[in-house]
Amino acid sequence: MNRRTFWGFTIPSVGVMLVLMVFPLVTTVWFSLHRLKIEDIDNPTWLGLENYRELLSDEQFWAATRFTLIFVAATVPLHMIFGLGVALLLDKVARGRAVYMAALLLPFIVTPVVGTVIYKDLFERGGLIAWLYEVWRDTPFVVTSGNVKRLIIIQSVWHVMPFSMITFFAGLQTLPTERAEAAAIDGANYWRNLWHVILPHLRVLILFVALISIMDAYRVYDSVFVFAGDRFTDAHTLQVYNVEQVLDPNIGRLGKGYAIAVLNIIGIFVVLIPFLYKSYKDQIAERT
Amino acid sequence: MGFLRSFSRHSTLIILVIWSVLPFTWAIQSSIKFTRDVARKEPVLWDYETTSNAYNKFWLDDEDINMYKVLAFILAFAAVALLLAMVGRRVSAGSSWLLGFVDLAKFVAYVAVGLVVLVPAVLFVVQLIKWGWSGLLLAIPIIGLISFLCWRFPPEIKLDRTNTYSNGRGWPFFVAVPVVLGFGMWLFPKIFEVEDEYWFFVNSIIVTVLTMIISITIGLLAGYALARYSGLSGAVILIIALAFRALPRTAFVLPYYFAAQKLGILDSRLVIVMALVAVNQPFTIWMFRTFFMDVPKEMEEAAMMDGATRFEAFRKVIIPIMWPGIIATSLFTLLLAYNEYLFVRVLAPTNWTLPVAIVSLTGGESSRTITEAAAASVSITLPIIIVIILFQKHLVKGLGAGAVKG
Repeated sequence: MNRRTFWGFTIPSVGVMLVLMVFPLVTTVWFSLHRLKIEDIDNPTWLGLENYRELLSDEQFWAATRFTLIFVAATVPLHMIFGLGVALLLDKVARGRAVYMAALLLPFIVTPVVGTVIYKDLFERGGLIAWLYEVWRDTPFVVTSGNVKRLIIIQSVWHVMPFSMITFFAGLQTLPTERAEAAAIDGANYWRNLWHVILPHLRVLILFVALISIMDAYRVYDSVFVFAGDRFTDAHTLQVYNVEQVLDPNIGRLGKGYAIAVLNIIGIFVVLIPFLYKSYKDQIAERT
Repeated sequence: MGFLRSFSRHSTLIILVIWSVLPFTWAIQSSIKFTRDVARKEPVLWDYETTSNAYNKFWLDDEDINMYKVLAFILAFAAVALLLAMVGRRVSAGSSWLLGFVDLAKFVAYVAVGLVVLVPAVLFVVQLIKWGWSGLLLAIPIIGLISFLCWRFPPEIKLDRTNTYSNGRGWPFFVAVPVVLGFGMWLFPKIFEVEDEYWFFVNSIIVTVLTMIISITIGLLAGYALARYSGLSGAVILIIALAFRALPRTAFVLPYYFAAQKLGILDSRLVIVMALVAVNQPFTIWMFRTFFMDVPKEMEEAAMMDGATRFEAFRKVIIPIMWPGIIATSLFTLLLAYNEYLFVRVLAPTNWTLPVAIVSLTGGESSRTITEAAAASVSITLPIIIVIILFQKHLVKGLGAGAVKG
């Protein structure tokens, strides 16, 4: 394919990305250096780095950063290990696999806010789990600022686990049977087989799922917003904190919101640059 | 030993299934309860009266409307749409008309039996559960029978037969079904008095469909070119797209808010569609590229040898064999657009879609909203579950395909 046809085919998509992604990013950086109120959007005043200085000394910003990091560090390994386990289990089961898969896929396809709402209902007064807890421990279960973070993490694992499960399951289907059989003949038990044959085969997939999950966990919004809401502001993640700084009628600071967004972008790229560099190398290698 | 092992595997899986569907079953249960039962501290698990009040309140303005009427209306339109789908398929598959009519008659009979038997049976089971344990014991064989019937007797409705799309005569299906369903949605508020939520539902559908059409069209072209072009700019575009995929939503939504405010298009569906198409583009081109890499180059080269241009070869040779990939990518776009919350919350202060509507319901603490939120959750989830069940194979394949080659 020559260069002209290539650009002919890609120009709509690249155009959309230029106008609707690159341009917003430029305005984000530019207006993060301004004071810009929601109710007075036409008159930005130049502030320089004032927004950033204010953010770095803002206790709430650091609390949000801390919880976001905890959230990523907790949910990503948990749902990947869990998903791998379920995929291995599904791979062994012949009968009823499609039914199990459909049922296990459900949390992944449901609207995230709806998933959180119905999950939260279990823990509210009159909810099933809250009641079971009360029967067991004889004290009523109350969602507090102490346990809300744990509940958010569990809900998130519930929601994302099917993604890693399906991906790993697809990977297991491509495992050449001879290798597993050869290992079995050599007398390797299941765990050695898992460690020496299956996991190396899934290596690329594990990296892929980790990459996607880190991206998605880092920018979690829906479930945290529904779970924590206005009640538990210390369980806010960076995204929730960011949007509240703009949309809260008492604050309404678009400029500060932009500054938080810029810091978020820098944060995710610190993590992702090695991955991106590796993908770039792969792309170049693939082309020659 | 072998039996024990498979038994333990199945029981582990069943526990996992319970873990993942528990919130759904709980939501369904709360949605058909009376508020007084939900408000109790100790949950009422068996012995309660059922009601459709919550659904009524969420969707309809008129409290006295009989929900069976509404159900009959929806089922009638779904049946007509399915019938048209069958006709469309028969016509396009090019089989003899007589054979088509036999299948059609079978299908009509099935729908009729389903409506006459299935709906009362489900209602009966719901009644039985209210009798407590003995009712549940009675209900289990009935549920078993119904599931057996559903599993054994449906006529063949194949939704993914590739040849139907490829001969280019499947268009009656693609035109007729949306027209019928659209007509039904237009007629509904004329017959029943609806709440605002109905219009949020309409918004949801419009936004989802538009996003899918635009996003898939431009993504398909770009994905194809990226799979076939070996220049450096292709690699650069892909990596930049991957980087965009990683960016937090707020990096886009706040500038959009600002720009929409300036242009005076805040609160319109247009701005939501534009935003969704943009954030979905990186994912779409990556996924299409992966699918196109599987298509051998010789396919279109042979067509171009015969004098077709690159675009003609793409349209007439490549697209027809790409349908599984298009469906898989469309499903992910559908999930993204239908489920989006943050964009709509920021960009549409009043002109919501369903996810925003349900969150606004859960704000209060009164027990009235618990049943209503549960009914809303079930109503929002059902359409998406039906679509995914119909196309589950494609979704699983799509998740695998994007991944297996890394």
